[in-house]
Amino acid sequence: MKKNKRRLAAALCAAVIFAGSVIPSAANAGEPSESYNYDRWNEAVPSQAGYAAERSVSGSDLGVGSFDTPSDIFCAWDGLFYIADTKNDRIVAVDEEFTSAVKVYSSFTKPDGSKTTLDKPKGVYVSQYTGYMYIADSENDRVLIATREGGYISEITRPDDPVYNAPTFKPLRVLADKAGNVYTVLGNITTGAAMFSPDGKFIGFYGANRVQPTKEIIGTFFRSLFLTEEKKARRTRNVPTGITSFDIDGDFIFTCTSSSSQKTDTVKKLNAAGKNIFANLPLVIGDYTPIYDSYQNTVFSPAITDIDISEDGCINCLDYTTGRIFQYDEDCNLLFIAGAKANQLGGFTSAAALESHANKLYVVDSVKDTVTVFRETDFGAAVHKATALYNAGYYEEALEPWYEVLRRDSGYKRANIGVASALLRKGDYKGSMKYAKRAGSPDIYNKAFEGYRREFIKKHFAAIAAVIMISTAALILRGRRRRRRSAAGNNKEKEEQSDDGSD
Amino acid sequence: MMDLTERQWVRHAVTHPVEGFEDMRWKRSGSMRIALLIVLLLFFAQIAHSRLYGFQFGMPAEKTFSIVPYLVRSVVIFAAWVAGNWAVCTLLDGEGTARNICIYSAYALIPYIAQLLINVLLSHILIQDEKVFMDAVELIGTGWSAILIFSAVRSVHQYSPGKTCFAIVLTAAAMLVMLFLLVLFLSLIQQIWVFLSTIYTEITYRLRV
Repeated sequence: MKKNKRRLAAALCAAVIFAGSVIPSAANAGEPSESYNYDRWNEAVPSQAGYAAERSVSGSDLGVGSFDTPSDIFCAWDGLFYIADTKNDRIVAVDEEFTSAVKVYSSFTKPDGSKTTLDKPKGVYVSQYTGYMYIADSENDRVLIATREGGYISEITRPDDPVYNAPTFKPLRVLADKAGNVYTVLGNITTGAAMFSPDGKFIGFYGANRVQPTKEIIGTFFRSLFLTEEKKARRTRNVPTGITSFDIDGDFIFTCTSSSSQKTDTVKKLNAAGKNIFANLPLVIGDYTPIYDSYQNTVFSPAITDIDISEDGCINCLDYTTGRIFQYDEDCNLLFIAGAKANQLGGFTSAAALESHANKLYVVDSVKDTVTVFRETDFGAAVHKATALYNAGYYEEALEPWYEVLRRDSGYKRANIGVASALLRKGDYKGSMKYAKRAGSPDIYNKAFEGYRREFIKKHFAAIAAVIMISTAALILRGRRRRRRSAAGNNKEKEEQSDDGSD
Repeated sequence: MMDLTERQWVRHAVTHPVEGFEDMRWKRSGSMRIALLIVLLLFFAQIAHSRLYGFQFGMPAEKTFSIVPYLVRSVVIFAAWVAGNWAVCTLLDGEGTARNICIYSAYALIPYIAQLLINVLLSHILIQDEKVFMDAVELIGTGWSAILIFSAVRSVHQYSPGKTCFAIVLTAAAMLVMLFLLVLFLSLIQQIWVFLSTIYTEITYRLRV
C-alpha cells in the first residue's frame, strides 16, 4: 500500500514537472479542510494555507496524564507554556518545544506552611513585570497570585464594594498589565472585566460592550416611553453580552465576545482609558457569510471564544462555531484562516483557547483534551515578513516580500494592498492604481489617482491649456457668428416687411 | 414660426421646461424613433454608470455582470410607465395617445441620461474630496428630468398642475400593480412549467422501462 502510494506520488510529481508547472504546496495535503481566504468582493476563494497543523499533543504525551477539559493556555515571556487543566484542578507548565511538562501546580504553599489547592482553574497568566502567576481559580471564587516556584503571594476575592453588585465572583480569564493591575473576566458579568490595583483593591469595571441597536431594542425603547414604572420593572433588561476573553499587548487590551446574537464589539482594542480603538472600523471578524445548516435550520454565526496577540502584532481570533482560527494584522486586515470542525489533526471539536509563540499557534480543545500545534507554512512566513515590515512603516522595504507573496497567490488581498501602499509611497502612482484596483481598495486608489492626476496636469499643462483656450475661442466665435447671422435674418425679414408695407 | 426639424424639437422640448412640450403638441411633432433611441441610451448610460465609474468612488458591487437588472431598470420600467400612464389617463380624461406619452416621456429623460454620462466622465477626473461637484450634477440632472416629466404629462393630457400630480401618483400605483401581476404571472408560469417538465420526465422514464 505504502509502496503504491509512493509510486503514485512519484508519478504525480513527474507529471507535474513535465507539465512545466509549479508543484502546489503540500502543506495542506493532510488538512481536514480546504484553505481559503476572502477576495475583494468578500467571497470565499481557495487560497494557500498560512498555517498547517503539525501535531496534536495530549497530556500523556507531555508525561503528566491526560488533560481533562483544559480551558486556557498562556505562553510566558521566557517561552514556558502554562495550561489551565480545569477539571484536573491543576496548572501544567510545558517547555518551549512543547514536548514535556516542566512542572505541575496543583497546590501552593502559604508563608505559614499550609497549602491551598486549586478548584477548576479556568485561566492562567504570567506577568513579565512582576514575575508572578495569576490564576483564575473559578470554583474557589478567587484570583490566585503565586510565584512560579509554587509559593502563595495573595488572592483577590469578591470585592466588598457598592459598584460590584453581583452575588457571584467566578473568574474565567485573568491578566495583569505593566503596572501590576489585575484584570479578570467574570462569569455572569456584563459590565466588562473587573479591574484591581496591584494590592488587590477593586478599581472598577473596564471595557464593557455596547448594546447592539437591533430593531427589538429600538422598539422596546419607544414602547417604554408609554409604560408605567411597574411595567418597566418587570420587563427583561437590555444588557450587552459580557466579554469572553482578552489578551494584552503592551499598552492595549484586546477583548473578544462570543455570542451568537451580538454582532458589534465582538473584538475590541482598548486603550488604557477603556476606549475601543476599533469602534469606528467596519469590522467583520470571522466568516463574512455565516454558515447555514439546512439540517438543523439554523445559522451559525461566528462566536469568537479567544483572542491572542502574537509578538509581531497579529491578532489571532478563535471561532468556536467553525473551529477556525482567523488571523488579522494590526489594522484588522484578514491574513489567514486555519483549522476546522473535524476529528482529524488540525480540526477541533470544542476549541477553547489559543496562544501564539514565535511562528507557531497553539490551540486548546476542551473536548479532545489536546493542544494542537500549527506551524507557519512558507507562504505564511512570506506574508508575515512583509506584514511586519509594513506595520513597522518600512513600506518600500516591504515591497519585495509582497511581490514574493503575489508570486505565490496573485489574488491575495493583503499583498495587493501592501504593494499599492508601497508604490504610492514611492510615487509610482500608476502602479499603485493598478494594485489598489486589484485589492479592491478605493481609498488607496483615490490617493494614487490624486497624485497621478497632479503629475498628468503638470506634464501636459501646455496642451491642456491650449485645448481649453482654443475651444473657448471657437465657442465665442461660433456664438458671435450665429448672432450676426440671426441679426442679418431679422434685418432681412424687417426689410421684407417694410417692402410689404411700402407696396 | 417654429418650423423645426425633429432633432431641433428635442432640443427645444428639453431646454424649455414650461412651454416646450406645449409647443410640440401644438405643432404635432415628436419622433418615435428618437424616443426609442433615448430609451436605448438610458439603458447603456445605466450600464456605464455602474460599470465604467471611476474606481476611487467605489468598485462595482457585483462580481459577475448580468444584463437583466439594467434591462428592467431602463426598458421595462419605461414601458410600465407608458402603459400605466396611458391606462390611468384614459380614465382621467387625458388627451394623450400611447404614442405621444411614449415620445414626451422619453424626451423628458434626456437630462437624467446626460447626468449619468457626465458623472461617468467626471468620476475619472475628480477625486473623493471633489465629489460634491458630481452630486450637484446629479441633482440638477435628476431635478430637471423630474420637472420635464411633470411638464410632459401636463401637456400631453392637457391637465391642470393639480391633476397632473394626481395622475403621476396614480401612474406609480399602476406600475406597482403591474409589477405585482407580472411577478404573480411569472411564478404561475414557472409552476406550470415545473408540472409539465415533471410529466415529461415521468413519461420518459416509463417509456424507457
